Order: sequence, then C-alpha cells, then structure tokens
Amino acid sequence: MIQKFNSKYLIIILYVLAGLLLVFSITTFLYQYIAALGSFKKVIASFGNNRILTALILSLLSAFATAFLAIIFGVPLAYLFSMKEFKGKLLLETLAVDVPQTFPPIAEGMIFLLMLGPNSPVHLAYTFAALVIAKFFISAPFVVSFTARRFREIRQTGMNLTARSLGANPFQVFFTIFIPLSLKDIGAGVSLCWSRAMGELGGSLLFAGVIPHQTEIIPTFIATQAKTLTIEALAATILVTTASTLALVSFKHFTLSKT
Amino acid sequence: MKGLNVIDLESGYDKNLVIRNISFSVRPKETLMLMGPSGSGKSTLLLTILGIITPKKGKIFLNEEEITHLPIEARNIGYLPQDYGLFPHLNVIENVTYGLYVRGISKKEREDVASKILTLVELQGFEKRRIQGLSGGQKQRVGLARALAIKPSLFLLDEPLSNIDQVTKSDVAKELKNLFYKLNIPIILVTHNHEDALLLSKDIAILIDGKIEQIGIRDEIIKNPKTPFIKKLLLPFTINE
Repeated sequence: MIQKFNSKYLIIILYVLAGLLLVFSITTFLYQYIAALGSFKKVIASFGNNRILTALILSLLSAFATAFLAIIFGVPLAYLFSMKEFKGKLLLETLAVDVPQTFPPIAEGMIFLLMLGPNSPVHLAYTFAALVIAKFFISAPFVVSFTARRFREIRQTGMNLTARSLGANPFQVFFTIFIPLSLKDIGAGVSLCWSRAMGELGGSLLFAGVIPHQTEIIPTFIATQAKTLTIEALAATILVTTASTLALVSFKHFTLSKT
Repeated sequence: MKGLNVIDLESGYDKNLVIRNISFSVRPKETLMLMGPSGSGKSTLLLTILGIITPKKGKIFLNEEEITHLPIEARNIGYLPQDYGLFPHLNVIENVTYGLYVRGISKKEREDVASKILTLVELQGFEKRRIQGLSGGQKQRVGLARALAIKPSLFLLDEPLSNIDQVTKSDVAKELKNLFYKLNIPIILVTHNHEDALLLSKDIAILIDGKIEQIGIRDEIIKNPKTPFIKKLLLPFTINE
C-alpha cells in the first residue's frame, strides 16, 4: 500500500510533523521571555528581590552540593557496576540508577519525610541537608549511568588489563586509566545531574518545605507563586530555565567534542 | 629451570573448561608459537599465563618461582595485545614509561630507560607524539617498547602481525625476530595465521580443542604430523616452502 503514495509527499508530511514538534518545544521555552517583554522593567527589578535572590542562591548551592556528592559516591558505584560481576547486579543497578530517574519526586519526598522526618531518630526535614538529599536521590544516577557506560567501553578495550600487566594495581588503574579517559563523560553526567537538581521540585517541596530564606528554592518559590501568576514567579522561572539550559548546552559541548 | 614452565594446566571461563592437560616449557631466548584453529584455546592459555584468567588446575613457574596465583601486576610479564592496547590519553614517552611510573621510578630514570628502549625500536624523536597520529607499525613499536621497558621475565604477543599490512609484514617480522634475539627471555606468540607463524618462529605448539596435540620444531612437525588434522592444518606451510 505504501508504494502507491508519492514518496515526495510522504517526506513532506514527515518534515511537517518534525517541524511541529520543534515549534512546540522552542515556543514553550521562548514564551517565558516573550511574556517578560510586556513588563520587562518589573521582571528585571524582580531579579533583585531579596526572597528570589536567596532562593536562587539556595538552589545553586544545593545543586552544586548534589553534583559534588554525586561525583564522590557515583563514580565509585559506576566502577563497581562496570567491573564486577555478581548475582543480583542487574536488579541493584536498576534500583540505583533507573528507578530514581523515573521515580515520582513527590513520592520520594514522602518517603524521606517518613524516613528522616520529625518522627524519625534523625530529623533532617526542613533543612538545607533535606534539600540536598531530595535532589541527590533523583540526580546522582545521571553521573552513575554516564560514567558506568564509559567505564564499560574502556573495560572492553582491555586497556585496564594491559595496564595491570605493566605493574599497575587496580587502584592505580582506576586513577591513571579509567578516570582520565572518562573525564568528558563524568563531566556530561555532572552537567545533567546539576541541571536536574536545579529543577527538582516534589522531593524538596515535601521534605525540605518552603521556608523563605532557609529552604525555599526557585522551583518551590514558583510553585507557591504560580497560582497568582506574579511577575516574581515569571522572573524565577526565567532564572531556573536559563540556568538549566546553559548546563545542558555545556553537556552537549562535552559529548560532541568527545575525541 | 630458567624460563617458563607450565605443568598440567586447566583453565577456562566460569564452568567451561577451555584448555586441559597443558604442559610445556620455554627457555630464555626461545620463541614458541601457539597455533591452532579458532576456539582451540590459544588466547585462553595466553591469558591464563598472564594472570587474567585463574587456572582451575595445574601450576605455572617463571624462573623457578611459582606464579600460578600471583596477581597480574606482580608477574612481570611483558604483554602486547592484538590491538597494542596503547593508552590514547598519553603520548609516546608516557605510554612507554607507564610501567615505570606506576612503580614509583623517578622521572629522570624513566626518561633514561625510554631513551634506550625507543632507540632499540627505532622511534627516537617520537617521544612527545600523540598516539592517534602514529601508523600501525609505529603503534606496534610503542607497544613493544612499553612492554620491554619493565624488563619483563617473559614476553607474550597476541597476533603480532595481524594489524600489519601485507607489504611490510615480512620486514616487521624480521625486525621482531631481531628484537627477540636481543632479549634474554622466553617469548610466546599466538596466531591463527599460518603465514605469520612461518615468519616468526621455528618452534610451534599446535592446540586443538584445548589440548596441545603436538609441540616441537616446525619443520619436524611438518614432516611427521601426529594426526591427519595437523597435516591438514600445516598444509599451507608445505605449499609456502
């Protein structure tokens, strides 16, 4: 049946569908800037709002802390997953890497509230630590998955074994072969992790709460202001999406310039 | 006995036994070519000697010291993989001195060793070159230099001529044989290619289904093959000669 149609028109249809998706994505992204144009001066003035500034600083600090912890814990976990074969590895990897990325953040916040909330021996709810924990759970897997994929590629080349035949112990192989050959992939994973941490809402909302100047971050600020569609909410939206976009652009730079 | 001594070796992956009842010796200055069809266990044997695969039975001695269960890095075996396994993030001299670097040897001493070894493999002036810019033959020489820089007690080469083009193959083989002659250590080569075997070694061991079916001087085995299969396997030798 497909042979009956003129392929020229079919290709045009494909291009139109592709174009519609592009227009939808780009319009959504650009609309915040278009909306800001109408009240440009007010939006600019909102950037200086003390509450927004503190929320931005808390967002940035918690996202950087998350990315730092993701490197410290995520790279060794990636090494374990890529180098060791053991029973239940697939299940463990799914639980540690795939599940958190698809987990409803609000449910994650609920679990943390029960596990580390007011009724638990370790009360971390409504603190900066709670922000980092909530972000870490869903963002760290990016570092693990990107790094593990690269470590597996290196392992397949056998370079690690050649290094060991030359006298390097596994620890030396990790730092002289795996890490330098994976810097770009770790960097790409960290970019995505940071970007995801910047935008995380559900877990932070429940577990860290929305205490201005203490645990309020840009996404939770937007969530509380969105109903009234304030200029401040728009300014905060622009801040968080622009920061995340810049992080993703740097991620593309890392992966595309891969040698 | 000086050199490599393999006694009743059994090895494989997980529960699969790939090589069985393997016993042979290679003395310093001797070169043994492991030959056999694909899946005969050549690479398994090489990787077991190197320490990548743990044997299920048997013993391996190197210069009278048992190395059967020593970790790879403690065996002091030079190894040249089929693709040379060069480290792309390091330049030529960093590749060549990698084994010395991880042993904590000073930069000055490393550079002295590298200078001598690079002269031996005729790569003087290539110290700062990136690996990506080298030809196949140059890459092989960097791999050889790197393996020899650690002063190995045994040298294992996996398909050393497989990535060399036909035109330069016999020259490279000659260079390799000259190099082997200068080294006072046992050398084991693995190949499935008859022509490569002919070019590189006079002693051969024929592996079939994980067992050494025949071992000895190549020309004698050609004259008196133990089985019709070996005769068929060595037919290209008789044609070449």
